[in-house]
Amino acid sequence: MDMLQFPANIAAAAGVNFAAIMPEVILSVIAMALLLVNVFINSEQKAYLGYLSLIGIVVTFFSVVSGWGAPQSGFNNSVLQDNFSLFFKGTFLVSAFLTILITDQYLKREECNWGEIYPLILFATVGMMLMASGTDLMTIFLGLEVLSVSLYVLAGFNRANLKSNEAGLKYFLLGAFSTGFLLYGMALIYGSTGTTRVAAIASYISQNGMVLSNPMLVAGMLLMAVGFSFKIAAAPFHMWTPDVYEGAPTPMTAFMSVGPKAAGFAAFLRVFIVALPAMKADWSELLWVLAVLTMTVGNITALKQTNIKRMLAYSSIAHAGYVLVGFTAGNAVGTAGVLFYMLSYAFMNIGAFAIIVLVGRKGEENNNVSDYAGFGFKHPVLGMCMSIFLFSLAGIPPAAGFIGKFYLFSGAIQAGYVWLAIIGVLNSAASVYYYLRVMVFMYMKDPTEEFDWLAVSPSLALCLLLSVAGVLIPGIVPGTLLDLAQKAILM
Amino acid sequence: METIFFTIVAAVTVLSGIMVVTCRNPINSALSLILTFFCIATLYVTLDAPFMAAVQVLVYAGAIMVLIVFVIMLLNIRSEVGRRYTHAGIIGTVVGFLMLVLTFNFLNNSSLTGAKGLITTDVINKIGHTELIARSMFTDFLLPFEITSILLLVAIIGAVILSKKKI
Amino acid sequence: MGYDMTGFPFLTILIFLPLATGLCLLPVWNCRPDLWRPVALAGAIAELGVACLCWPAAAAPAKGAPAGFFLFEDYPWIAEFGIRYTLGMDGLSLLLVILTAFVTLIAMLASWRPVIDRVPLHYLLILAMESGIMGVFLSLDLFLFYLFWELMLIPMFFLIGIWGHGRRIYSAIKFFLFTLAGSLLMLLAIITLYLIHGSQTGVYTFSLYGLIGTVVPHSTALWLYGAFLLAFAIKFPLFPLHTWLPDAHTDAPTAGSVILAGLLLKTGAYGLVRFGYPLFPAAAATLSPLLMVMAVTGILYASWIAFAQSDMKRLVAYSSVGHMGFVALGIAAWTPVALSGAILQMVNHGITTSAMFAMIGMLDERTGTREIDAYGNVWGKAPRLSFFFLFFAMASAGLPGLNNFVGEFLILTGSFKVSHLAVALAGIGVILPLVYTVRLIQELLFQEERRPLIIPDLTVTECGMVVVMACLDLYIGLHPGPLLDMLHSPVAILTGGAG
Repeated sequence: MDMLQFPANIAAAAGVNFAAIMPEVILSVIAMALLLVNVFINSEQKAYLGYLSLIGIVVTFFSVVSGWGAPQSGFNNSVLQDNFSLFFKGTFLVSAFLTILITDQYLKREECNWGEIYPLILFATVGMMLMASGTDLMTIFLGLEVLSVSLYVLAGFNRANLKSNEAGLKYFLLGAFSTGFLLYGMALIYGSTGTTRVAAIASYISQNGMVLSNPMLVAGMLLMAVGFSFKIAAAPFHMWTPDVYEGAPTPMTAFMSVGPKAAGFAAFLRVFIVALPAMKADWSELLWVLAVLTMTVGNITALKQTNIKRMLAYSSIAHAGYVLVGFTAGNAVGTAGVLFYMLSYAFMNIGAFAIIVLVGRKGEENNNVSDYAGFGFKHPVLGMCMSIFLFSLAGIPPAAGFIGKFYLFSGAIQAGYVWLAIIGVLNSAASVYYYLRVMVFMYMKDPTEEFDWLAVSPSLALCLLLSVAGVLIPGIVPGTLLDLAQKAILM
Repeated sequence: METIFFTIVAAVTVLSGIMVVTCRNPINSALSLILTFFCIATLYVTLDAPFMAAVQVLVYAGAIMVLIVFVIMLLNIRSEVGRRYTHAGIIGTVVGFLMLVLTFNFLNNSSLTGAKGLITTDVINKIGHTELIARSMFTDFLLPFEITSILLLVAIIGAVILSKKKI
Repeated sequence: MGYDMTGFPFLTILIFLPLATGLCLLPVWNCRPDLWRPVALAGAIAELGVACLCWPAAAAPAKGAPAGFFLFEDYPWIAEFGIRYTLGMDGLSLLLVILTAFVTLIAMLASWRPVIDRVPLHYLLILAMESGIMGVFLSLDLFLFYLFWELMLIPMFFLIGIWGHGRRIYSAIKFFLFTLAGSLLMLLAIITLYLIHGSQTGVYTFSLYGLIGTVVPHSTALWLYGAFLLAFAIKFPLFPLHTWLPDAHTDAPTAGSVILAGLLLKTGAYGLVRFGYPLFPAAAATLSPLLMVMAVTGILYASWIAFAQSDMKRLVAYSSVGHMGFVALGIAAWTPVALSGAILQMVNHGITTSAMFAMIGMLDERTGTREIDAYGNVWGKAPRLSFFFLFFAMASAGLPGLNNFVGEFLILTGSFKVSHLAVALAGIGVILPLVYTVRLIQELLFQEERRPLIIPDLTVTECGMVVVMACLDLYIGLHPGPLLDMLHSPVAILTGGAG
């Protein structure tokens, strides 16, 4: 663009293309509408906001589906809605949908039934979507900020609960800290390449090979890796995770452990694979170390947890490690594995959290593993659901978690990272211990006290049903989903 | 001349930055922060970015800091007594030292920018800094600009949710 | 037999019939407790019937199947990875399938009376496990095989953990983690082999007969085979990887012990024969001395340890380690005679040891203890029970005329050419079981009473069960011909030119 010429048509000069941001637009509009509706209804009717947001998510999902296969770029290449971002958007919508299904029951029990939670979840989803489709560092960064700010609030949403307050504050401080790293990294990349557009960075580097020796570029890459690692909770940048996950309201923990993590991976993948393929040798070394650390630290620490939310928090660190294995491989199989795994992880993890919401009592009580003693026989169907989720998390066939791990480790072996795959499966074997421990309590120990009668709300039952289907169907007939994941990685 | 000026301003920036985190009295911290913002604004001026300098002074040093000082006064926060958490000091020193080494490494080993941007001093003089920012904000960076509005909206909702007495 | 069986999905039925039966229990879970046991039993009997129906099919090879297979099913499953739903049955699979159906039936009968709580779940788990084991014995696709391999762990984990005794939870977790760790490494080896084959030929497949003959550099092959061997040796279990077995056996409920000893251990041996050796012949040959050492050490060590046991179940568990050592020896020798012996020994051990565990279960149920010291003069109190106990103990110790003798004899004869030393040492291992068995029998049945235990004799059902097993023992011991005939062609194909 000629700088001296004032653009005649601003819209054309800005490259406005609504097709490229349609899902984001729909969801934002619905979220804002919900804020308005919220004013006019009383506190008993807040659940309707939940239903409305579910409808909104379904509508957005249709928009995502209809965009499949027809990449749309817009706003002078600052967003690109391609199959890659659409697959991730699907994952985000699924996790938001499942989360909202379990939110209502929790809010009523904890007496913090404020309708603002639904718009916040939707705004967080918008932020995630922008991260997935952003092809400009600024878009990605702002998407991340929208997501993070929503999450800080969601983590501290249970105002009366001190632990929730702590979670919100901690998440805010460490989130802001990590954002600093990310932004600094982006600034250095901008400084050395003169652009924030992801594709332009790649072409600048390939045309000027000597920038590779520029330590500024390397430092930019490193700092961005640190920033993203905070977001996906990779060790050694995982310290915030357990406290935040334990303290946050349970449905929000479910949401945070799935959606934002997937969004972090989406942006991480996009920036590193599209913008910095020239430095693959460098960053895959780095990710190798990160993956091993993350898996091992997550699993070993999870082994000795007694609080189930905390245990799942550490386990989610370990799962980020498995996904990093596929990322490290960086090939088609590994990358598609990341996509497949994040989607299946959404189902199994939120499913498990749905049970935790159900078993928990007011004030975040009854969340210890030992509180599940006898649960499996007292509530056979719920127990079976929980077992399915836990087996899937442990990577036992025929659940989706197994196919996902299989996919990720195949990618690593194909790329020659045999040791990484071996460390991965050994970690996976170790992780089985703490998942089994929950089942040991559920089925092999006698209850210490009488179980309350558990009221399963219809929406929570729907969440369980969807999650079980989402774990078992891709586990037994993964064909379609694998196909989609493979088509999605052609960035 | 310019180098000497830069060195002085940079030194004041860093020193006042350190003051922000070391002062026991919150008011002193806040005032140091204002000084830091002023210094950064000065650096913007030397970089041919007068608009940024103005915004820096107006928004940060003016609006935000006034608010912060106001809150400190209202809440009557006492100056902190007692021993501080010392681990952070050690770790911070180590990290800071590493950053310093890294920075020297940059300065010695690299030409800082590989690429020349479109907005050169000539262009700025011809069109004007403010208009240039507006142009790129409303063309190349229109989408990020719009996302900012959502970000602010979310922040407002969050502030209300977390701090309002009765919802 | 001239009837046409092609096209009828016998193998799929074999795999899914038990699971379907188990799922039939769900609707009657909370009502109709009178239906639980009959439904489960009917399923198990039907399964045995279907398994036996496959016997006549051996006459004609299946169309499009690899050599030696007379029943074969093949459908695409996960096309993206070249994973197919491939099942096949040859003589080797057939014997093990029938054994599985039979032992499962025994396990159900053995838990008829002792299991009184959570009955439907108990039977559901047994049936699910039967499905998993059938799948292991019938899969010809490595991915499918792995799937079933893992699937059979889960029901066993719950069986031990829920209905077990003593340190049941510790044993259940130990069992699960041990076997899982081994099999996960095998999974990596499978993936590696798949990728090597794919990059060489461009055809990405998990099919066993597609992968056989893949040219793998010897050093790589050693690693891959090592991973397979590790997984199978843990299941086998071979010394020094056997430590999970005594715990799991001791703490498992009777049905669990019966299935564990009778079937799960066989899957390790089967895997080695079906997958380990054919996929990596050279590496297997290189490592066969190692296998032999493990086998012989296991035989001697297990007999030695068995000698010192005071818990009957633990004693039989160690004797299992010894017997499976013989199987490993036969496989390591890899001659037609030794291999036939090894497979036959798998069947024998399956029947005899299940019978032993079932009998110990009966004693335990009557008296509440499994300590040898607690018993005495059982013969005087319960002669029928004692007679069959004696019978199976002798069969287990390898008394000529009974089944184990045939297997051990074939293994030793067949291995003699390969290693004199191993056979000589294993020969000692033939005698040692006799020593501890005689001690067991003497103390249990004939010594004077040490505690006033009331031991009612066998009921009619129990009698029927043990008589059938005893007849099988006797039949195989006296006339192993039909079984060996059935094994002749698969063993000839497997050993190829080696014999």
